[in-house]
Amino acid sequence: MAAPMRRTLVALHRATCSSLKSAEASLDLRRPGPLYVPVRTKKRYFVPPVVGLKRRKQEQNPDAKARTAGIVFRQQYFERPINISCTAGVFDPYVPPEGDARLSSLSREGLKQRAEQLRQSATSQLAIRKIKEYDPQFTSRGFAEQAREIFIEAHGALTQFDKEKLHSLVTERGYPEMTRGNRYKTISWRFLESLEPPKVVHARCPDMVTKGNLYGQVTVRLHSKQILAIYDRFGRLMLGSEEQPKDVLEYLVIERHLVNAYGRWRLHGKIVPSWAPAKDPIIKTVMIPGPELKPGQEFEALNYEVPKPKAVQWNK
Amino acid sequence: MATSMTGRGMAFIRNLSGVLHSRLPALGPQQLSCLHTSASLESKTWERRNLKLFPPQQLDDLRRPAEVHHSRRQIKYSKDKMWYLAKLIRGMSIDQAISQLEFNNKKGAKVMKEVLEEAQEMAVKNHNVEYKSNLYVAESFSGKGKYLKRIRYHGRGMCSIMDRVYCHYFVKLVEGTPPRTEEKTSFDQAKEYVQNLKNRTIIHSL
Repeated sequence: MAAPMRRTLVALHRATCSSLKSAEASLDLRRPGPLYVPVRTKKRYFVPPVVGLKRRKQEQNPDAKARTAGIVFRQQYFERPINISCTAGVFDPYVPPEGDARLSSLSREGLKQRAEQLRQSATSQLAIRKIKEYDPQFTSRGFAEQAREIFIEAHGALTQFDKEKLHSLVTERGYPEMTRGNRYKTISWRFLESLEPPKVVHARCPDMVTKGNLYGQVTVRLHSKQILAIYDRFGRLMLGSEEQPKDVLEYLVIERHLVNAYGRWRLHGKIVPSWAPAKDPIIKTVMIPGPELKPGQEFEALNYEVPKPKAVQWNK
Repeated sequence: MATSMTGRGMAFIRNLSGVLHSRLPALGPQQLSCLHTSASLESKTWERRNLKLFPPQQLDDLRRPAEVHHSRRQIKYSKDKMWYLAKLIRGMSIDQAISQLEFNNKKGAKVMKEVLEEAQEMAVKNHNVEYKSNLYVAESFSGKGKYLKRIRYHGRGMCSIMDRVYCHYFVKLVEGTPPRTEEKTSFDQAKEYVQNLKNRTIIHSL
């Protein structure tokens, strides 16, 4: 403490002391003199918090102190949670044929396409047979209708943002893809009608980790008319319109954990083919970052081509 | 229970506002209204204004301008010194505000410029603002942060508390052109003053 101490010494006492001291010095006697302990009489109105110096901080180990105090810290588990009620992706995704739903059924090419579609691949048949082992009531036609109902209900729950209902209709992998960025937006979606009856086009039964842990993934082709309008946080229209319906061709992937007795068929994802037409642009203008320029280099707007993304099939 | 809590002091009640609601479930709305449950030190109401969702607008309504609330907490600067900069950029367009702060010599100007740029980026990315220059500073003010206390040594063995000051800075950006403030000339103000004097009526007189 650097604060100077006040000494409460009386002048008279000092005078007597000095006389005594001179007598002692002459007699060479060492008597234990009165000890004057400096006493602080000023009241401390504010006691500041102790600012720990760097040395003090380095000396004290918080671990050692906690152990001596008797505090026991819980063991730290370096774990990452894995969800086992759904798979992490679409296994062996269905590749939709080029020009699907563009050709009418009456032309020759349309008939050929229909014939190909009817003759499903062997793996799909095997997978459907495996699914029928666990779920005896499974039929392609019935399941297609069921898939359409799941789809309509799931998107209805998305507009109301009913979390529990959405979790029961969409798998854990499909949920973030469906709801990313939608929390502070208003979505208004309506399903008008199906243009063609929904059809099961693909099925696979992958097993995860152990051999018997089966999941069933069925791809359903759905051609329908829908209305979609997305409003941003302030209620302004961002995308789509309320009156204009659009024809939508979708390939839905529905999944179920077959081994689980309480498993349910839930929407797992959507397949976007490589030949899919570009979506409508959003209402606002967006800035695309330009090319990297070296200092001194000029940007030539005439010769610059906006890079287009590659046409690849991807799973939504 | 309610009367005993109010007897203890308002500061205590403020700290226990959260605990209060859990402990007094049976009180009716009249009895609860007497308890002052204001915000405590950790509440971030300014940031929560960004989470407000408006209902979709009809076609004939005026387009609602987008608003972005942004803040920075515990800036090592005085709130009074920060106020001068906050007052400087009030009502300016965002480009003008950023350029003014860039060439200002104060320490808080650098921090404020970062905050404005962050807010502009947030507006374009998350809040559906079309043009990043189409924003203006609607509100900008500074507030007191949590101070650290140290000892200040005076002469004659006296001490006092020294505060290490911190401040918060809050800004609200709104989409659109900045609103024009009417410039009132001194002659107009004088005329208005004289008119107010003339409009006075004397009641209870002959």
